[in-house]
Amino acid sequence: MRPRTPQIVALGGGGFSMEKEGSLLDEYVLSLTDASRPRVCFLPTASGDADHYVVRFYRRFSPSCDASHLSLFRRDQGTGGVEDDFATHLLAQDLIYVGGGNVVSMLGAWRAHGLDAILRKAWRKGVILCGPSAGSLCWFEEALSAFHGAPRSVKGLGLLPYSNCVHYDAEPARREEYHRFVGDGMRPGFAAEDGVALHFRHTRLAAAVSSRPDGRAFRVKPARDGVVETPLHVDYLGADLEVPVPSSQSADTAACARNDIASESIGQEPVAA
Amino acid sequence: MSSAAAVDVEERRIFAMGGGGFTMEPNNPLLDDFVLGLSPVKEPHVLFLPTASGDTTAQINAFRSRFHDRTCVPEHVSLFRLQDTKRPLAEIVLEADIIYVGGGSMRNLLAIWQAHGLDRLLVEAWEAGTVLAGLSAGAMCWFQGGVTRSSGPPEPISGLGLLEGSLTVHADGWALDDGVGLLFAGRRLERVVSSRPGAGAQRVDAIAGELVRHRLEPELLEGQSHGALGGIDEAVEELRRVQRLRRGMAGGRG
Repeated sequence: MRPRTPQIVALGGGGFSMEKEGSLLDEYVLSLTDASRPRVCFLPTASGDADHYVVRFYRRFSPSCDASHLSLFRRDQGTGGVEDDFATHLLAQDLIYVGGGNVVSMLGAWRAHGLDAILRKAWRKGVILCGPSAGSLCWFEEALSAFHGAPRSVKGLGLLPYSNCVHYDAEPARREEYHRFVGDGMRPGFAAEDGVALHFRHTRLAAAVSSRPDGRAFRVKPARDGVVETPLHVDYLGADLEVPVPSSQSADTAACARNDIASESIGQEPVAA
Repeated sequence: MSSAAAVDVEERRIFAMGGGGFTMEPNNPLLDDFVLGLSPVKEPHVLFLPTASGDTTAQINAFRSRFHDRTCVPEHVSLFRLQDTKRPLAEIVLEADIIYVGGGSMRNLLAIWQAHGLDRLLVEAWEAGTVLAGLSAGAMCWFQGGVTRSSGPPEPISGLGLLEGSLTVHADGWALDDGVGLLFAGRRLERVVSSRPGAGAQRVDAIAGELVRHRLEPELLEGQSHGALGGIDEAVEELRRVQRLRRGMAGGRG
């Protein structure tokens, strides 16, 4: 097999778990695989391997992919997840899709099972890594987590030598807090709104794409007085669709979809990082 | 937050169940009532930690239905859904009179506790006299070691080390039938109790290369067996249906 480029697609929020029309971001990620029927493995660790989340993953991906999931909690219940050799299975994938939830709990469980090292190896081998929210934060050196109480800095797997902030538009406090952290010494990094994906090849940002016409992403660096926030060029993935979706409607739909998740107990609101 | 004052070692209580209580005995509240009775507080704060299961709704619902109409203040903390928890973890843990840990994966339980600093808080709670209780992984975690099946075949794993030995079928430890619990005062075994007639326990020691087993006769707890059913998570059923569908679509690829 020819060598493949390490790639990560970090979603500020969105994809099948958050958006009714999440297919645009998911399609983008799938298109990077070069496979007619990609092998896609879902890691729902950050949700505590919530059943509803796993079910939604299969609904979305099993029609067009060889879909599987890896549960670190339910190994004995015959739910069909990967049982044996994590490393062999994960290294054979085209895409590893990490779900949202609590990034601290997820990283703790991953390290206990050696998944941190396996994911690093998979990335180097060119298995595409992606995910929203906690599934974005985890790839970076540092991440701003606002999941519980005061925002805090969390050390990620460090594949990408930057910091990361997700759901940048969801609460105004996120942006202020990220600026404060970067101003106080957190490494420079990237912030993405819900519906926006940052696509990295090796460790360089190759593109920013969005499932919404008005989705935004930023590069944030420290400056003499606080920080500099530079907007990134974001490609709207729905531009070729026949009927453009008005942005307000798109946002409503997203909010709606998020409430669906809340009521489906994958963690009330796994979108929070 | 300042540390809570430590109590005398003999006043520290751990109740370790092999399998029992609300998640495994929906119609038998004897062990759970025994746990409530371990706190000197009349209306104790009972904190449930479902971490080892990945915080399943089924476990949390079973906890609520068992304790909501008993004389206590039930509460749970999910380390996967912490946005629902408004107060700092330290405050919640150190205010509890009883901390009840559910079953599941011991490896995940300890790793996730460590990631959130909960391991240290639990040791502090024990030293301050908070009753620690749990079943399965939630019982093994208090000992020096246990076994976990979370990576497939059973393998040994270190626990928090508040109690010596292990709660396993291997040497230097205890083996418990379902429905049996061990009550420790400090590190000393104080009582062996059971919710089921005929259930037993063993102490296993490795002496000069031989495993020496002592059978322990539990006290049968008395009370009325009643209580609510825990409810089966229907998502598991749905998941299985999806899995069957998926296997069907995968054809012979297997």
